[in-house]
Amino acid sequence: MIEVNNVTKRFGDFAALDGLNMHVERGAIYGLVGPNGAGKSTIIRHLSGVYKQDSGEITIDGQPVYENEKLKQRFTVIPDEIFFFTQANTMDMMKFYKTLYPTFDEGLFKKILSCFPEINPKKMVRTLSKGMQKQVAFMLSIAARPELMILDEPVDGLDPVMRRQIWSLIMSDVAEHGLTVLVSSHNLRELEDVCDHVGIMNHGKILIERSLDELQTSITKIQLAFEDELPTLPPEIQVLKRVSTGRVHTLIVKGEPRAAEQRIAALNPLLMDVLPLTLEEIFIYELGGENYAVKEIIF
Amino acid sequence: MQSKKSFFNLALFKKNISRTWIVGLLYFIILLIVMPIQFIINLANFDEINYEEGYTKTLNLIDDISYVPIGVWGIFIAIAVTGITFWYLFFKRDNYMMHSFPVSRRSLYFTGLISSIVVSILPVILTALVTTIVAAAEKIYAFDVIWFWALGVSATTLLFIGIAIISLMASGQIVTSIIFYGIFNFLYLMMEVAFRITASILMFGMSNAMNNISYTPLTPVFFVDDACKIKVFKMYDNLGNIKTYTYTLPGLKYLLIYIAVAIALIVVSYILYEFKKLETVQDFIAIPFLKPVFTIGMSFFISMVAGALVAGMIEALKPMYYNTRFIVAIISALVIGCIVFYATQMLIEKTFRVFSTKKFFFLAGYSLASLTMLICLRMDVFNVENKVPDAADIQWVGIDSNYVMVFSRPEDISAVRDLHKNFLSDKKELRDVNKIYNDVDSGYFTIKYKLKSGGFIERTYSVVNTESDKVSANYLAATQPILDYLNNPTRIKEHVIGNIWDDCTIPDLSFSQYVYNEEADDYWPEYAEFETLSDKELTDKNENIYQAFLKDIDEGNAFVTTFGDRYNNTELAKITLYNDFNFTVANNKKEYISDEMTFWDWYGDDTYYRTPEYERSIFAQLTTNCTNTLKALKDEGFYTDDSQIITTYEYNKAMGYLEE
Repeated sequence: MIEVNNVTKRFGDFAALDGLNMHVERGAIYGLVGPNGAGKSTIIRHLSGVYKQDSGEITIDGQPVYENEKLKQRFTVIPDEIFFFTQANTMDMMKFYKTLYPTFDEGLFKKILSCFPEINPKKMVRTLSKGMQKQVAFMLSIAARPELMILDEPVDGLDPVMRRQIWSLIMSDVAEHGLTVLVSSHNLRELEDVCDHVGIMNHGKILIERSLDELQTSITKIQLAFEDELPTLPPEIQVLKRVSTGRVHTLIVKGEPRAAEQRIAALNPLLMDVLPLTLEEIFIYELGGENYAVKEIIF
Repeated sequence: MQSKKSFFNLALFKKNISRTWIVGLLYFIILLIVMPIQFIINLANFDEINYEEGYTKTLNLIDDISYVPIGVWGIFIAIAVTGITFWYLFFKRDNYMMHSFPVSRRSLYFTGLISSIVVSILPVILTALVTTIVAAAEKIYAFDVIWFWALGVSATTLLFIGIAIISLMASGQIVTSIIFYGIFNFLYLMMEVAFRITASILMFGMSNAMNNISYTPLTPVFFVDDACKIKVFKMYDNLGNIKTYTYTLPGLKYLLIYIAVAIALIVVSYILYEFKKLETVQDFIAIPFLKPVFTIGMSFFISMVAGALVAGMIEALKPMYYNTRFIVAIISALVIGCIVFYATQMLIEKTFRVFSTKKFFFLAGYSLASLTMLICLRMDVFNVENKVPDAADIQWVGIDSNYVMVFSRPEDISAVRDLHKNFLSDKKELRDVNKIYNDVDSGYFTIKYKLKSGGFIERTYSVVNTESDKVSANYLAATQPILDYLNNPTRIKEHVIGNIWDDCTIPDLSFSQYVYNEEADDYWPEYAEFETLSDKELTDKNENIYQAFLKDIDEGNAFVTTFGDRYNNTELAKITLYNDFNFTVANNKKEYISDEMTFWDWYGDDTYYRTPEYERSIFAQLTTNCTNTLKALKDEGFYTDDSQIITTYEYNKAMGYLEE
């Protein structure tokens, strides 16, 4: 659905996007992860039609996004900081969205609104708490019945219960209507629960773009112990990181876990455990070489 | 395949109106008060107010509207309304969200524009409509006047909306945009003032350069009220009653030009918006090509004026040679230019780290251009100092020294041009008189040309007393011909007394006798009274004195022009009388044309509607050399004893005002 090919964007001397390539399948929930300054918000602003790339191509369903009113009626954007008109209440905003999005479902909006009784629809949105404002933004976006939802740090500022509610709304829309979701977040644990595809971004580029399953099976953590020193590992095993404590060694190994396990087993370890990596760990190990400081920033 | 974009979005339009309607309402209320309500109040009191005979309600309405400003409304309302409408452009959150909605920039722009026009211009149209209804109810049929005013306000408001939107596109900061709006509106005037300040300090003969600033169409807020204001002309009968009246609705062509310019600005603004990079939110300047223009413009004009002011301040402390003053100005301008250049870069780039090689070369290029410009001023490349207009272009030429004389006959114009050219040919010494003749008393004289095109060329020169033995032969050769020309008795009579000098009666004449009053410890004026005389006898008496005064002029004793300080000249004070001498010249069949009023342009160009004057009071400073006049005054009984005559020196001495 989303095709980003070789896109560059410079802000003065700084390359915010540097030949970025990204592909999001229809119906996917695509998590965009990366450290601060990686270019996540920049690419989201390009996909929203706010920025125009210096070079490269950005299309959604084969159509360029920039200044494409008809195409933009088919997707909604929730930026990291949400804007509402100064004097507008929730119902005013609903009327505004209704005129902008032909697929807007007023009935659905009212139904969702009823699930959030703490929100007074007659109160000016700007006077609501940050969390409530996000809730209103989600209600409006979901009720617009978009084919694609672009979310930049969407659940920041929401309490855990509210996060779950919001994600549950989105997931049900994905399940029922095949909604495609592109979401950028720092909260990797949360993304791990909801995303089926992940793009890891740094320095204005996508470093890795895979399905979550694929990603999780491409890196393995193996804990092992030998009677003596760690023997020389077969050259087929690509070790990203090695930590040794006495005779116990922890290896982060790139490649298919089963193959790695078989090759190491041939070395007759006293003990061997193959553990799956979390998205956070993958993120850190993948970016370790790219940006060493990321580890300190994220954890 | 790109889909077709729309120009208008109703939902956005409603949102825009919902945020700006209050401004429109306030504006409407103010206009209502200024126009129909004011008129209704006037009508309610019409019979009680003591208007001139013949003054009608229609004339009252036209008069009222002719006093209501045209340009001032739009300049404020335009920036207020467009600023609120396009507010989202200045805040990242608002900007990103608005542009991520399925609304094209075209739609955002034109919807914003239309809503701004509606809120800014609808109150004007409604006010005109209400005023029309009020006028119609009173059977006052001057609708053309009402709607011409509305057209004037609407056209200028549209222009200001164009300027406002282009200003909003030019910056990513709302405050800076408002500053740009002010700059764009007054850019031409500010540039002119900057050049005039510089010229007045640095250039020969330009010390009065700040005079005669006339508003051009490039400063619409001021110009439109001059050019498009409804003009009412009343014609009176012999009893002073209004016989008839007429009015004109001038400047329609300017309004049409302003509308055309507004449309052009709106189109340019739209193009800027289409190509606007939204990452420039919060940037000082959002349009890349404006950055060098702004940098150079700011650096050049600020440094030029500041450099001239530095030179002027040093000159005030210690007189300098003309060239020295220019060198000081050039060095100051270059140094200040560098500072302003880097300060502007810091503003634009929002960082103190602007000292790069690239910028240094840019600065060097700018400094070279600035230096060239200032040297061009010094070399008078633009022919400002040496400018003497062609005789064919001159309507009149006036000289203001001790007295004002204005010449309009071709031979006089030619003669004054020759005097001026002769004066300028020895410019080198003349422009350094304050330095070379520092100890000779000095004064000023002004030559002013009124051109047939309506413009003025005015030059003022510092001059020193030609009677001093310190002045050179060259200096005398340049200045004495001017004095000789001005001190010609026939010219004095014709231009100082006036055009009716030889065909007039003297209905009034007074001469003050000064007698010491012990109680007041001062000299008090007393006047001879001739109550028993008939008007004819009194006029004859006055005319005898007038004839004696003319004889004194012929002998070179009255209305004499000298270059030098008339007020601190002790020798002059010893012969100048403290007694006042006034007389009135009158001819009820021939209009009196005042050289002074012509010189200061108080008549304007509208001679047809000018209220004619047939008499003028003349004040003459007598000296003890005016023996003919003094004798006639004594013979005719205006004073009886020579003790009633006192010189300025004697008065100051008696009062203890003289410095030891």
